[in-house]
Amino acid sequence: MAESLARPDGAPTIHGVEFRGRGAEYFRIWIVNVALSIVTLGIYSAWAKVRTQRYFYGNTYLDGQSFEYHASAWRILIGRAIALTLFLGYSLSVVFVPILAGLWLLVLAAALPWFANSSIRFNARNTSWRNVRFNFSASYFEAFIAYVVWSAAAIALFFLIPFTRRVHDYFYINHHSFGGRAFQTKFSAGRIYAIYLIGFIVIVALLLCVIGASAGLVVLATRAHNYLGKFNIPIGPENFSLIVFVLFGLGAAFVTTFVTTLVTNLSISNTVLEGGFKLSSRASGLRVAWIVVTNAILIVATLGLFYPFGRVRLARYRMQKYALTAQGDLDGFTAEALQAQNAIGEEIAGFFDFGFGL
Amino acid sequence: MTWTIEGRFYFPAAARFVAARASAQPQRVFRVEDEGGAMLAEVPARALKVTARLARLTRRFDLPDGARFETDNNDGADALLLHLRRRRRGRFTDGLERAWPAVGVSLIVALVAGYYFVAQAVPVAAEWLARKSLPAVAHTMSEQTLLALDRFALRPTKLSTADQTKATRLFARVAAHAKGGRGGYRLVFRGGGAVGPNAFALPDGTIVMTDQLWAFVRHDAEIEGVFAHEMSHVDHAHQLQRVFEASLIPAGLAIFTGDVSQVSQIASILPGIIVQSAYSRGFEQQADDDGAATLRRMGEKPSHMADLLERVDRSVCGKNGCPPSWAGNHPDTAIRAARLRAEDKGPLAPAQDCWRPWKGGISLRCFGWQ
Repeated sequence: MAESLARPDGAPTIHGVEFRGRGAEYFRIWIVNVALSIVTLGIYSAWAKVRTQRYFYGNTYLDGQSFEYHASAWRILIGRAIALTLFLGYSLSVVFVPILAGLWLLVLAAALPWFANSSIRFNARNTSWRNVRFNFSASYFEAFIAYVVWSAAAIALFFLIPFTRRVHDYFYINHHSFGGRAFQTKFSAGRIYAIYLIGFIVIVALLLCVIGASAGLVVLATRAHNYLGKFNIPIGPENFSLIVFVLFGLGAAFVTTFVTTLVTNLSISNTVLEGGFKLSSRASGLRVAWIVVTNAILIVATLGLFYPFGRVRLARYRMQKYALTAQGDLDGFTAEALQAQNAIGEEIAGFFDFGFGL
Repeated sequence: MTWTIEGRFYFPAAARFVAARASAQPQRVFRVEDEGGAMLAEVPARALKVTARLARLTRRFDLPDGARFETDNNDGADALLLHLRRRRRGRFTDGLERAWPAVGVSLIVALVAGYYFVAQAVPVAAEWLARKSLPAVAHTMSEQTLLALDRFALRPTKLSTADQTKATRLFARVAAHAKGGRGGYRLVFRGGGAVGPNAFALPDGTIVMTDQLWAFVRHDAEIEGVFAHEMSHVDHAHQLQRVFEASLIPAGLAIFTGDVSQVSQIASILPGIIVQSAYSRGFEQQADDDGAATLRRMGEKPSHMADLLERVDRSVCGKNGCPPSWAGNHPDTAIRAARLRAEDKGPLAPAQDCWRPWKGGISLRCFGWQ
């Protein structure tokens, strides 16, 4: 039986999450995936995706039992073919008939809620833990309000961004269920605004510092060039905008990761699962941002070969900071009957990278 | 004869499990018993759904009624499937992922394909798209670019009417000798502001010259060379090619790796810039060569353009000129000037250093493309 049964006195038990994947192991899976995808002109990428997802889900353990990803590669392949056709149709029509861009935007706005729902649902229903599957169900209208109305509001009025993020998190979490029991999250808008405010101040300060530092660097290198003649550091005025861009890009990535980590902590730690279960996420924003940014640098330095190691490194830290506090028995979950549905929405959404989820 | 492996048994459609042992019985029957030997389930092997082998992941045997047997013993599970005469799914791919030679071959395939994609597929596709784009696209893009530049970087011109008339006259003379003819290009004047002494071409044939650049000109042929250089950018739709290159690289990465996550997005920034600046160094060299050819057709010496380049460079950076840049979009001024001077005597063979693309940029010429 499971090692951590609920204690007889009814006191809550904390069940930890753990990622058992290994960089060297995933490296081999990844490079074979990439090579086979290239050799098959992209067709294998559907199987590559399933193997990758299975590897990451299957190595994530909650209370000693792993998650599982069930999606069929054929369904994903069909979805990708449709997505690619749509994407090419879109790109070519916009290049050759620019007026169509506006029309496409309308079509996209109308289809977006459907993409969002089928994408999240496909992922949820193909995920299980201890023989019980997750589920997601939301109406087109709810998705329309969350992803079209609120997103448009956030684009128009930037101070609504944190609030919109909360709307998205509510939509995502509160429509999920596990074994027929609903997830529910609730937190005050003030807390999410506080996180974004810190991020905003840091970003502005960072931009000013980066511009100053880059200008100083370019002036110094140019002076050195003029004193030393040929022997020099190759940083000319031409590189100024490049240096600003790279430094600020890395800094901005650091801050955004920091902010999203804290927001994820906030929404997950306020999530309860019906039946006396509570989730928590205690990742350090600085630590996650550090991992993401150093990963990016190492990936560039190794021509991409660090990518699998970086992904495993991030998952290992991120996962160990999640936990489930159970008031009752984990054996009590039972599966609900799920109707069949399709993968097409998920792959189209995934291809265009709308990035639903936390 | 039976074959047995240890594992866990989940009751139908429930999260409750017990330690169990599965065995292959005669007649291809799959049986699960608990530790005491009591039978938990028994089904024909055909009815089982078994997950494909992948790394050290738990193997799962799904029974038709929603019950499940799972085991961490992958070799045992494969042997059991062999006894049940079931196909061992995922064995081939798993074998590839386990064998270091296969991993090595994959690595080479990925690196070669990556290089080919960057060095050939992207530029060819970008050039094709740029050629096929409608003039309306180029026009809208140019208008928007100039509007944005006017707002953030450029100022209204302060050149005298006499200077403007003279520059326009020289411009028309060059245009008559260039590919697009007199109607193909349009000269506009702007105060350089932060841009400094510079000239640049927009895709619809608009060429912007800053007042500061005009101030450096000591010989008519110098600025004529710059005009000819910019006209070559227009003729080859270099600006549009850059836009297409910028979107083709991430699109290619996403298609091949199937990953559009945050990590890969951040990681693609710097290589994207470096690759792009390598492409545009190739464009600059092409524009220099074309500009020199136009000057020669007009009976002028390309070396005049070299004089202007060096004068501007020294004024911006001091007596030794600007340091060579490792990811700038122009080749080093010293290299450009030397090549332009050599062009006085007649056209040069393309001097693309294909083995050192970071010096001169990646060019289709390296692959026999003209």
